[in-house]
Amino acid sequence: MRAHTVRGVVAGVAVAVALLMAGPVRAQPAGTLVVGLVAEPVNLDPAQVTDLNSNRAGRRIVETLVTFPDESTQVVPGLAESWTISKDGLQYTFKLRRGITFHDGTPLNAAAVKFSIERQINPDHPAAKLGKYPFANYFFGNVKAVEVLSDERVAFLLKEPRASFLAILTAAAASIVSPTAAMKWGPDYANNPVGTGPFKFGSWERGQRVVLEKNPTYWKGPVKFDRVVFRPIVEDQARLTELLTGQLDLIVGVPADFVGQLEGNPKVSVLKQTGVHVWYLGINNQKKPLDDRRVRQALNYAVDKDAIVRDVLKGTGTPARGPVMPNTWGSEPGLKAYPYDPARARKLLAEAGYPNGFSTTLWVPESGSGMQAPVAMSTVIQSNLKAVGVNVTMQTMEWGAYLAKLRSKEQELFALSWMAGMEDPDMVLYPLLHSSQWTPNGPNRALYKNDKFDELLTEARHTTDQAKRAALYRQAQKLLVEDAPWIFIDHEIQIAALARRVQGFKLHPSFDLRVETISLK
Amino acid sequence: MRRYVAGRLLLLVPVLAGVSVVVFMVLHLSPGDPAEIMLGSQATQADLTRLRQELGLNEPLGVQYVRWLGHVLRGDLGRSLWTKRPVLVEVAGRFQATLVLTGTALLLSTAVGLALGVSSATRPNSLLDRASSVASLFGASMPVFWLGIMLMVVFSLWLGWLPASGMWAPYGGGGLRDLLSHLVLPAVTLAAASTTIIARLTRATMLEVLGQDYVRTARAKGLVERAVVLRHGLKNALIPIVTVVGVQAGYLLGGAVLTETVFAWPGVGTLMVQGILARDFPLVQGCVLVVALSFVLINLAVDLLYAFLDPRIHYA
Repeated sequence: MRAHTVRGVVAGVAVAVALLMAGPVRAQPAGTLVVGLVAEPVNLDPAQVTDLNSNRAGRRIVETLVTFPDESTQVVPGLAESWTISKDGLQYTFKLRRGITFHDGTPLNAAAVKFSIERQINPDHPAAKLGKYPFANYFFGNVKAVEVLSDERVAFLLKEPRASFLAILTAAAASIVSPTAAMKWGPDYANNPVGTGPFKFGSWERGQRVVLEKNPTYWKGPVKFDRVVFRPIVEDQARLTELLTGQLDLIVGVPADFVGQLEGNPKVSVLKQTGVHVWYLGINNQKKPLDDRRVRQALNYAVDKDAIVRDVLKGTGTPARGPVMPNTWGSEPGLKAYPYDPARARKLLAEAGYPNGFSTTLWVPESGSGMQAPVAMSTVIQSNLKAVGVNVTMQTMEWGAYLAKLRSKEQELFALSWMAGMEDPDMVLYPLLHSSQWTPNGPNRALYKNDKFDELLTEARHTTDQAKRAALYRQAQKLLVEDAPWIFIDHEIQIAALARRVQGFKLHPSFDLRVETISLK
Repeated sequence: MRRYVAGRLLLLVPVLAGVSVVVFMVLHLSPGDPAEIMLGSQATQADLTRLRQELGLNEPLGVQYVRWLGHVLRGDLGRSLWTKRPVLVEVAGRFQATLVLTGTALLLSTAVGLALGVSSATRPNSLLDRASSVASLFGASMPVFWLGIMLMVVFSLWLGWLPASGMWAPYGGGGLRDLLSHLVLPAVTLAAASTTIIARLTRATMLEVLGQDYVRTARAKGLVERAVVLRHGLKNALIPIVTVVGVQAGYLLGGAVLTETVFAWPGVGTLMVQGILARDFPLVQGCVLVVALSFVLINLAVDLLYAFLDPRIHYA
């Protein structure tokens, strides 16, 4: 290389840098909302994904028959304007709103509803092989058939009564898709979704952005800006910097350590909202000495949940008394709390025959959906338990490996969380704690079993009257908390940070990211 | 020469086959499978069994590998288990971004490394020499993610000169200036370690060459210093430098994984990380194949460059 080439390169770099520095970083064009996601969406067919980030974008395009109003998870009409439930609880009949069309012009009718659900559960359906529907069985395993009664009336026939079925129909997997588009695109439909929602799919540049354009003929009236851009930015500091420099308008999943910094910054505002979520330390209810209720109660008294929420989560959680979200229709307001009381814990351990404590293991995932700060939280729990004589060996694992290991039934203590996405107690109590759901058949990894509790849950499933169901769930929760099958830790408080130009945004307790309510200043 | 190149290209086959077997085994033997991760904590045994069946994970590993290889030989890398998109399309799209980033970082580190190395060697123990050796120590010992975040905090957050992440403006961007402004921070971050290695090696080799008899002869016959250093010195020092630059090219491709993740650069690196966490087997295998292929091709190019730089080297 000759001297002038070297000098040329150096000068070139210097000029380029100078050129760049001349112009400050630009803000977005008016009418474009830019949202920073923690990870890239996987695909945009909500029936085919299981992660929050895909749904944060994908659910803007499609809608469900029934839905939740802002700031609540009570079921209200969506694409269906009304419904009836048969006496035996086996048939749910919906009347669809008239005059709604999908973004591709296909009319919304009973056949589209049948298509959207049956493609997931009927292996002979023409669209069954066009995608993988991971939650089909979890949500719709109880659906025998979907019947078209007329163009605008559609009926779901169930195998057995399940009172939480309406809540299930608010799930992402229950979204109604355009049958024309699904058949036209085949396996690529998940990357070219067509629904009835407030936004139409625009474009997707992999690793960079998903662009959704305003649906000008949206049946509830068009949204107040032109488009939303979702950008995947994995690194927390990068997401924060982009927000503070005006390159992002909205971020969710703000790490607890950044909340204080953002709250003091005049460029942004911070929103908080408790989500339908529970973080718990599971206890293997079948293994000695954890099969003794007194021991499990002792563990609950030994752990300082307030300190975890205050010091580790920096206020991004509410201490939990049980699995069900407080202040929802099925929650028990008078639930017994386990305050931090090491003396009482030691006493209970002594009564159970362990005056000197015992040794056990705690499995913890390094990260995972809804896991907040698993390792830091577990470390506090470990030292709390040590203080009452329970020596805990902590083993951390990668999320995928962790889930596989929990299937072995060899767990003693384990850290896990649950996002039901809806407040119906059936969606958290039944899968996590009914004895029919013991792992590996279901998610009851604490191997909890109480016949009376099982009975109450089953009865509540067969009761359609909400007040009666609530009474049954309240009774079940009292039993449960007395049995202490887990150490109840916290309900996550979601944190969003917004640029000043973003107006009217509200976080939703279901963790859905409803940007359609926004207007831009 | 042509036979040599053909032979080297043929060697690609066993190398890539070996790489694919190792990657396949490592991915499949690590605990947790894609079905498990897709279904998450809500999984029931029935759902897992069904999904594993649909994803073809229930068959013996050998069968799965041979089936995958059969498709690859026909030019079909399969579809991603998660995004359902063809792996070839996915990887090809991302590879361009990685090439832009690693290419820029390689140019940057070679240019700056050579300039620093040559200047230090011609004025050993000068202020510049000492400053450059301190900078080298710093550059070589900085973890990529730390350096990246520091640069981001200073140049994006505090000074507001450069965007903190991505390759283009969020919407309505495009053009060279948009690209360059997004490229500066990741390219500098990625280039830092390589620059120092190239600088130190250039300095050492140049010092050795400049002590040779023919350099003294060149000076004695009255050549200007610049000609002595560049024509007689640098040209003869180039062989080890080119080797190291070649190795660095491979290192940069690998190092891009971290840099891309820090700066949300839409390259193969971010794709691969995403794929590994999700156990997206076909996707990870596709990424690794492409990276391995480029690595081997770069090595071949370096070997061929030797013959060009040093007429004494022949490939027969």
